[in-house]
Amino acid sequence: MMRRFFAPLLAAGLLAGVAAHAEDTLSPLRFQSSGAFGSIDLAAAQRGFAVYQGACASCHGMNGLHYRDLEALGLTPEQVAGIAGSVKLADGSAATPDSRFKQPALVNMGGAVPPDLSTIVAQRPGGTRYIYDFLTGFGPAPAGMKLLPGHNYNAAFPGGQVSMPAVLRDNAVTYADGTKATTAQEAADVAEFLTWASEPNLSARHAVGLRAVIFFAFLTIVAVLTKRRIWRQEG
Amino acid sequence: MQMEAKQGWLASRVPGLGCACGLMREARPPGQPWFNALPVLLGVLLAVLLASGAVVTVYYNPWHAYDSLQGIAREVRGGWVVLGYHQIGASLAFALLYLHLFRTLLTGGYRAPAEFAWMLWVKLLAVLLLTGWLGFVLNGGAGGYWSLMNAGNAAVRLNGFPGAVAMWFLGGPPGGSTFARLLVLHVLLALCAVLVIWMACAAAKKARPMPQGRAVPFWPVYASQYFAALAALALVFALLLGFAPHWGLGGQNAIPAGDMAVPVAISYPWYLTPAAGLAGAFHGVAGHIWAVIAAALLLYALPWLDRSRRHRPGRLYRAFIWLLGLDVLALGVVTAFPMGSLLPALFTFWFFFHFLVLTPLVTMLEAV
Ligand code: HEC
Repeated sequence: MMRRFFAPLLAAGLLAGVAAHAEDTLSPLRFQSSGAFGSIDLAAAQRGFAVYQGACASCHGMNGLHYRDLEALGLTPEQVAGIAGSVKLADGSAATPDSRFKQPALVNMGGAVPPDLSTIVAQRPGGTRYIYDFLTGFGPAPAGMKLLPGHNYNAAFPGGQVSMPAVLRDNAVTYADGTKATTAQEAADVAEFLTWASEPNLSARHAVGLRAVIFFAFLTIVAVLTKRRIWRQEG
Repeated sequence: MQMEAKQGWLASRVPGLGCACGLMREARPPGQPWFNALPVLLGVLLAVLLASGAVVTVYYNPWHAYDSLQGIAREVRGGWVVLGYHQIGASLAFALLYLHLFRTLLTGGYRAPAEFAWMLWVKLLAVLLLTGWLGFVLNGGAGGYWSLMNAGNAAVRLNGFPGAVAMWFLGGPPGGSTFARLLVLHVLLALCAVLVIWMACAAAKKARPMPQGRAVPFWPVYASQYFAALAALALVFALLLGFAPHWGLGGQNAIPAGDMAVPVAISYPWYLTPAAGLAGAFHGVAGHIWAVIAAALLLYALPWLDRSRRHRPGRLYRAFIWLLGLDVLALGVVTAFPMGSLLPALFTFWFFFHFLVLTPLVTMLEAV
């Protein structure tokens, strides 16, 4: 695993800095959080937060999270305080680590309201992968498809057209750890971040689950053998 | 006097507790199958549900149902585990109860003198289904919300006594105060379930024939069997909690109630799907309600619909019970993954046909 390095910067958390590069998880695409033994890729999730803050937070809230929750991604309290301090709340005051993620002013794009993203991964079938496909699914509409006014073509979205515009492009953010910010990288990172946001306990759940399964498997075997012995003697 | 001395100091003062201690020394026929442990496992799961439910209730806020559950999962230390206990405990309790009912059908365990125990097991199913539906609604997710809306819309169209009961139940159009009511009912029904399972076990015990011939003591013979069954249950529990915490719970409830327009079909947790399919196969509010009541009444009446006098059910009858099990399973599947209205109607028809026609006919044929 690469070193995690994060430097909160001004404004919407646009990040700059140099450190180790992310290993290639894009070709083939894989998410460390997927699968029965998956755990959150903290470095990717940190980068994903930068993407969220820079490219999504203007439209999508994440009401389930506080800034202090970011410490679970490996940020220090000082870094979190820096991030929160750079956020101007609606009443003009700066956010604190105990504030919930800032609610953006309500955007209404032709009747479609950007959903809160706190639990979006749990809400959509295929979760993490769907978010990635959705964010990389924008493009020119196929010939013969009529787009509704204010809609954009998206290959992953049910129905093929969505009112959200394509927001990710190469270098939409600058990563603190020096990872190249391609569109695909940004989409994968924000997908990992949203996976963590939907289920902050995912890594712990898998770790505890594995230990509990081993323990109870062992206990079951011992208990069944004991029962057999008793039944041979007394049953 | 002598009897009392035998049962011990505690038993002579607290009959219930003495009963529990007496269980350890109770003699039983040897070689009872694993399946006999199901009621005890079910009791353990109910205890898990009550304990985890008590914790969840402390933090639950009926006016912000979805957000308060998110808060329990995110902010309360260990909260996500407790929620997991509650969800998976419910799932497994239904799994064991369905299994127990199926096995009782298959072995003819509902026949005299066990009719009363059977009726109590059916009652437990009814109580748990209602409790489970309330839990589904109390999640504050979109699935539960629309299910509640349907029930509420139906309730205002009922009049007379049923309408009054429904309004008392819901307290008006769905809102925070409805959820507060439903929470109270959820808890009360859960306590009722404990009472019912206790009575069912007592009735089943009364109906068991006294061991003839050789008998073995509960401790350690059956204690070791129950313990092994419990360990296996814990294993399944851990597997689900660790690796499939949302299996079969219906994805729509992950979406906050306000965020989703009317769904084409509500996705219920798997254990509610057969009942939902049965209700949905009939038209109108009255149709839904009567379908479920009729199904419950048929189950109650089963000991009398069965015309055989023999204790072991015959081959043909058992084949039809297997078919009934598959039928209920299929009804659940076509409700979870809607594919037209023909299949649910067909499976519902078979359910009623089985009890009203096949059961009396086949048992009568096999009795001669
Ligand atoms: C200009 C405002 C805007 C920005 C910026 C924006 N979105 Fe959206 N987003 C929307 C709107 C509006 C919708 C609702 C689309 C609809 O339902 O038709 C939406 C929908 C979504 C959905 C739900 C798709 C579905 O399956 O229903 C996801 C996921 C999402 N956005 C993720 C993101 C991410 C991640 C970012 C940042 C990289 C982002 N959005 C940036 C406006 C925005």
